[in-house]
Amino acid sequence: MKFSKRNSSLVATAVAAALLMTACGGSDEEGSGEGEAAEQAGGTFSMYIGQPENPLVPGNTNETEGGQVLDSLFTGLVQYDAETNEAVFSGVAASIESDDKQTWTVTLNEGWTFHDGTDVTAQSFVDAWNYTAYSPNAQGNSYFFANVAGYGDLQAETDDNDVVIAPPVAEQMSGLRVVDDLTFEVELTSPYAQWPTTVGYTAFFPLPEAFFADPEGFGEQPIGNGPFQADEPFVPDEGITLTKYEEYAGDEPANADSVKYVVYAEQETAYTDLQGGQVDIMDTLPPDAIASAPDEFGDRYIETAQGDITSLGFPTYDQRFADPNVRKAFSMAIDRQAISDAIFNGTRTPATSFISPVVKGHRDDACEVCELNVEEANSLLDEAGFDRSQPVDLWFNAGAGHEGWMEAVGNQIRENLDVEFQLRGDLQQSEFLPLKDAKGMTGPFRDAWVMDYPVAENFLGPLYSSAALPPAGSNYTFYSNPEFDALLVEGNSASNDEDAIAAYQAAEDILLEDFPSAPLFYRLNQGAHSENVENVIIDAFGRIDAAAVRVVG
Amino acid sequence: MTDQQQADRRHDEVEAGTTTGLAAPSVDVTDARQNSLWSDAWRDLKRNRLFWIGAVLGVLFLLMATFPSVFARGADPRACNLANSKQKPSGEHWFGFDQQGCDYLANVVFGARNSLIIGALAVLVILVLGVIVGAVSGFFGGVIDSLLSRVTDIFYALPLVLGALVILRTGSLGRGVVAVAIALAAFGWMTAMRLVRSQVIAVKSSDYVAAARAMGASNGRILVRHILPNAVAPVLVYATITVGVLIAAEATLTFLGVGLQRPAISWGLQIDAGQSLLRTAPHLVFFPSIILTLTVMAFIMMGDALRDALDPRQRS
Amino acid sequence: MGRYVARRLLLAIPVMIGASFLIFAMVYALPGDPIRALGGDRPLSPGVVAELRAQYNLNDPLVVQYGKYVGNLLQGDLGTDFRGRQVIDTISQRLPVTAQLTLVAILFEAVIGIIAGVLAGIRRNGFLDNLVLVSSTLIVSIPILVLAFVAQYVFGLQLGLFPISGLGEGWYSFLLPGLVLASGSLAYVARLTRTSVAENMRADYVRTARAKGLPNRTVVVRHTLRNSLIPVVTFIGADIGNLMGGAIVTESVFNLPGVGRAIFDSVRQQEGAVVVGIVTLMVFFFIFFNLVVDVLYAVLDPRIRYD
Repeated sequence: MKFSKRNSSLVATAVAAALLMTACGGSDEEGSGEGEAAEQAGGTFSMYIGQPENPLVPGNTNETEGGQVLDSLFTGLVQYDAETNEAVFSGVAASIESDDKQTWTVTLNEGWTFHDGTDVTAQSFVDAWNYTAYSPNAQGNSYFFANVAGYGDLQAETDDNDVVIAPPVAEQMSGLRVVDDLTFEVELTSPYAQWPTTVGYTAFFPLPEAFFADPEGFGEQPIGNGPFQADEPFVPDEGITLTKYEEYAGDEPANADSVKYVVYAEQETAYTDLQGGQVDIMDTLPPDAIASAPDEFGDRYIETAQGDITSLGFPTYDQRFADPNVRKAFSMAIDRQAISDAIFNGTRTPATSFISPVVKGHRDDACEVCELNVEEANSLLDEAGFDRSQPVDLWFNAGAGHEGWMEAVGNQIRENLDVEFQLRGDLQQSEFLPLKDAKGMTGPFRDAWVMDYPVAENFLGPLYSSAALPPAGSNYTFYSNPEFDALLVEGNSASNDEDAIAAYQAAEDILLEDFPSAPLFYRLNQGAHSENVENVIIDAFGRIDAAAVRVVG
Repeated sequence: MTDQQQADRRHDEVEAGTTTGLAAPSVDVTDARQNSLWSDAWRDLKRNRLFWIGAVLGVLFLLMATFPSVFARGADPRACNLANSKQKPSGEHWFGFDQQGCDYLANVVFGARNSLIIGALAVLVILVLGVIVGAVSGFFGGVIDSLLSRVTDIFYALPLVLGALVILRTGSLGRGVVAVAIALAAFGWMTAMRLVRSQVIAVKSSDYVAAARAMGASNGRILVRHILPNAVAPVLVYATITVGVLIAAEATLTFLGVGLQRPAISWGLQIDAGQSLLRTAPHLVFFPSIILTLTVMAFIMMGDALRDALDPRQRS
Repeated sequence: MGRYVARRLLLAIPVMIGASFLIFAMVYALPGDPIRALGGDRPLSPGVVAELRAQYNLNDPLVVQYGKYVGNLLQGDLGTDFRGRQVIDTISQRLPVTAQLTLVAILFEAVIGIIAGVLAGIRRNGFLDNLVLVSSTLIVSIPILVLAFVAQYVFGLQLGLFPISGLGEGWYSFLLPGLVLASGSLAYVARLTRTSVAENMRADYVRTARAKGLPNRTVVVRHTLRNSLIPVVTFIGADIGNLMGGAIVTESVFNLPGVGRAIFDSVRQQEGAVVVGIVTLMVFFFIFFNLVVDVLYAVLDPRIRYD
């Protein structure tokens, strides 16, 4: 039994889900009747989700399941183009401008309202962001605001044992200033030219006043400003039905009358239902089904590149892996394509760069040592004087299905480099992460990253900059190079995209030279839908634009 | 034995998975009858076909665990090539290849060793724990008995797999063969304890124990010389069956992700890895399952036959 | 009888406290930081971590944590998991699933087990007897893990007779996992019935009945069966308590969101409150059904008197 992150959380029920689905079948028929009258609009469809891990509050949702629901309920300042993954101003913001890339002026469009009829104002954003950042509110997405001036004042002071010793000194970030109803200013701690692209993420959604009166009730039945609204609370392990919001101010209102999110504990169950037409859309497929799904679903099968990367991180603090040539040798000993084919049914693209192909700045030929080259690998290892008699530890977190490919990596290391390996995959995340923080990796380890927003910098800064060293960030290789940091700063304050990309690529070149980790794969996501719907688009975040989906027939 | 105890023991057997046969043999107490019990039992066993099937299978797997390369037809379980991934069985490779492209026959054969070691080791620990706690509890009675019996009740109320699951997750034991064996024993000793305890209580009040006491024998001597030998028969039956049960439990724990881990070779790991490929490569679950079942069956058949042979009431 | 029940209930209290403390202590001893895992690969800010740790009393020593837990428990509050969900909600969601699975398993075990046992016991060493003997040994030997996969593969995937997993088809979804779960006890019930029937067939009163010239059918049904079934019925009763504890493997393989799965998931995520809540409940069921069975035993069999 594999318990991936997706289905690990509370397992669903299904007696009730079954009832829901029966009900769903009924409304489908009604929907199709209406559909003829209203031409292309209307109808109802259903979509698979896993159980969301948290209440449906934007500031506390950082996983895909709750994120999918919130995406239908909210529209952020900007939205992302499903094809190019670039930010487009089709959301609440009319413009986001800055002269120095540090102080940004956000101007909102008029006419946006929340589902309870109140206006979406500058205050709706500022209040929401302050709430999320304020540490006593314990919101998981707090760190998204870490680069806003005054963020530190909203954090409680803690000792080494994670005990609060002093409460935060402020409740509002000094960097957020409301100018008028439709304008606010955001001052960052340092220039960041990509900032407007970041604000489409879930953490940046606005909140109505009703939220602050009753955050708990809101978490069950959120009041957003998006194309769909929640008429009833979310039922854990069962799901929620959202209906079209008639007053939606965006350019692209929902095509369907309603969308029903059905929670499944297991993808296998949902897949069987998809085959039987009981659920209309799955945004991901069980591994065992991938071989047969393209034939079975034809053009209703969807494969999309994901904005992520899986790497083999090296403990640069460990004497054995301190030499970049050793790290390159290990990289060259891995046949990425063979692992993808045998273990992943070909659903991984061998990595050729630290930057995902879905964002601007990716280069197809950046990483030479990502190619299998056993001879070169062995001579590099000899030159470095690597002790082959000692086995290497391969670390990964338990219970998430990483055993298979990690063992394949180990087998190739033994085969190609004549170095024995030991799998260290018995630690759960709760233990694995603190160990990574504490420089506890005694060998190469699984290092994975899913982008927060589609910019090249998001694949570099959060993973390899000195500012991201644990516990502040996710730089688990403990790589630190001032030159690399400087180039990131240069890119962050560049006045146009070309200059920024050039600086990021220069930074990546340094990374390729120092090679703190070996890029392995980019994920391809598989989805499929029934004949009941069309225009199903899965974006690089693995999310489906529910508003765009059309019910047919 | 009171009805309460009988009810308890029924539960014990179910809990431990030894849902076969009936109450343990009611053993008589004199030496002469002891001897006749064992020789009668052996005569009975020799005629029992199920016993022989179990014994032959048991020896076969013992040999497999000792000399795995012979059974693996010379293949190295660790020589893997992704190009062979998930290939079906063939004349050359009887069990096909696993996902990593390793010869599957070799892997399944090499899995026998860990399973048998864990089964035997865990039973050993169970016997030591069960006999000591049970004997002390039954012999001294009173407050000690109440206390130890309550402790036993507490462990008893927690299912074997659940307890072992949690204790292995704490990581205090590590994740090797010994750790799994100890974890299984820690939540599996209660039945042995109750068996020994009830035997001790039954024998304690007998005339010859009273006689030994009158002659000035010490508590320890009475316990070791006179009482414990009487508990051997039911404990032996229990131990034999339990080896099989524990081997299955090891596979279960490993399958749940807390037992042995790769690249250790174990049937539980093979079943775990194969189950997500059930649609495409069913042989990966099939082969380790068959061998695992046969191993468990070998011990249960032997234990079952032993039980019938040692139970006078079963004789016609 | 009343005194006996009261004494048993009193004895149950230390066992329940002991078992829940044992499991609480083990969950407490689980290494790692469950809060840290909430954020996944992205770090939570230290202030947020501290806030959550304080909310869940994670900084207190074991005994204090347990004390607070029991204190809340006595007020009917089972606490919440780290996602803010009430444990009582989780339990009330999961328990019906496990209860249905248990019911189906018990039915299989009673109906098939008793029929097989009676058929075998009536004529000892006959063909049916040997068949039951051998097949019950075989069934007991197949680890539930293996049996579950075989059943799933053959009946679910190949023959398509049953749903492969999940609860999509209501009661029908419980048939296959119920049968798998029942298998071990089913074999035991068959053997228990067989021996019991066989022993009773030789009893004096049966001989008397036969001597009176009663037809074989009447002898078996009226005289033998009634007495033979006493131990069987009590065993089945006790088994309800066992099965209500949830079947981690069966529920995992068949993807049934019952109590067993909840325990497994919660242990993995170090959701101490959930684990302890469910385990305490399990222990309660276990003790309760055992008590019911013992009382039942006395009611059914007049020879037994507890006072």
